[in-house]
Amino acid sequence: MKFSSSVFEVKNLCLLRNKQDVLKNVSFTIFKGDYIALIGPNGGGKSTLVKTLLKLISATSGTIKILGQNQSKFNAWDKIGYVPQRASLLDDNFPASVLDVVKMGLIVKNKHKLFFNSSFNHLLDDAMKKMNVLHLKDRQIGELSGGQRQRVMIARALVSKPEVLILDEPNTGVDAKHQKDFYVLLKKLNKDEKITIIFITHDIGVIADDIDGVMFINSTLRVSKTPTKDLSCNIFSKVYGFDAHMLTHRGKHV
Amino acid sequence: MFEYDFMIYAFLSGIMIAILSSMSGAFIVLKRYSLLSETLAHSSLVGVAVGILLGLNPYWSSIVFAIIAAWLIEFIRVEFKIYSDAILAIFLSGSLALAVIIVSLADSFNNSLFSYLFGSILSVSEDDLIVMLVFSFFALGTLLFIHKELYFISYDEELAKASGLNVKFYNYLLVSIVAIVIALSIQIVGSLLIGALMVIPTISSLRLKKGLYGTLIFALLFSIISVIVGISLSYYMSVPSGASIVVVLIIIFIGTLFKK
Repeated sequence: MKFSSSVFEVKNLCLLRNKQDVLKNVSFTIFKGDYIALIGPNGGGKSTLVKTLLKLISATSGTIKILGQNQSKFNAWDKIGYVPQRASLLDDNFPASVLDVVKMGLIVKNKHKLFFNSSFNHLLDDAMKKMNVLHLKDRQIGELSGGQRQRVMIARALVSKPEVLILDEPNTGVDAKHQKDFYVLLKKLNKDEKITIIFITHDIGVIADDIDGVMFINSTLRVSKTPTKDLSCNIFSKVYGFDAHMLTHRGKHV
Repeated sequence: MFEYDFMIYAFLSGIMIAILSSMSGAFIVLKRYSLLSETLAHSSLVGVAVGILLGLNPYWSSIVFAIIAAWLIEFIRVEFKIYSDAILAIFLSGSLALAVIIVSLADSFNNSLFSYLFGSILSVSEDDLIVMLVFSFFALGTLLFIHKELYFISYDEELAKASGLNVKFYNYLLVSIVAIVIALSIQIVGSLLIGALMVIPTISSLRLKKGLYGTLIFALLFSIISVIVGISLSYYMSVPSGASIVVVLIIIFIGTLFKK
């Protein structure tokens, strides 16, 4: 069941960099409960769009509303969980246990306090349980594999009970079996916890399963939101700039 | 050795500097910004030179110059997106050049400036100690209250920003604290050696892989041990205190290299 209120409402978003359009008249709305994949070729503006939504990059023009509020006035950032692209590529020597990293997700709620409020302990345990990293909580983050680190980073993003989870290429460096498990988990978070999920991916095969919509972005076709049943070779060909063919297996795109 | 007031002042001020430099230094090391301490030490040397030239208290002028340099470095790094190590290298050599020019304009104070280059802990007065105590109280208090935020920013600045932290504010606050700590410290360990006291304790404790608080506690311990042993060596062997402290730190660092 979908909710009618919007999570992100973007109108005529433009971003110029070195006099070149990175984002040009991008408009779309993402609703609460959506499970959306954002795809496009390298340099097509996927990460830039996400960073603009998160106010990490300032747009040249256009408006962004987050959870009904203008981005400039929005300050409930704990409702937006973000997992950056390089999550699995962090410094091995950084002195942080899994628990330390997950706690970072609560720092904004614990600002300027000497110690963490112990009433948040159950949130930490819940987030680590959901991502199956509770047993690793005392391990140093640098000792974990790429896939484990990725799960820790998502636990960090989930610990503040966000309404939206944004993941930038979450499966970089993760093997095929764990990728599949990972997308099952994302779907579960979307379905059971009602978390709106937006993720950037290069893996076109993955997006064909279960998602509510795909947003395509590249230098020619900027953004469109298309239900998966309408996925067509024509769209992929336009986005990636080559002649794409779509195969189906048991009624699903592969 | 404790029958002399100056030795008691030396130990007290040394321990204060050890606490402050290891705590603030930990965050600049974690931010991969280690050269900041060296650079600000040179900038505060310009402040000392200006202070002596104009007949002002070098203590205050060095604090002012170090803070201005810290803010300028941070501003240029962020606004002009210049690599951190490059902007630090520019300020490091620029400050030293400026200090040398000022010294050459009035070479009568070469000796006083020399003590700021290598440190002279035995010349710490009761007044210096009080100033240090006041600044230490505020600097350490601030660091304690913002250590979680600084830790998050050190881990991933962009992620901290996306989580709603005012990263710019915390970064300016951190470099200001580091600037004050360095300006206070150069009288004790000298501008050429303070970088070691800011960086080596944290680098050594990172080798032990003990998480944030373990790293901070071991950095603090290494720092205090090096100051106590270094000053004692300086007293008994009649060698400069700053250099003795740094040699002890290097020995501790070498020891941690054997930790598997």
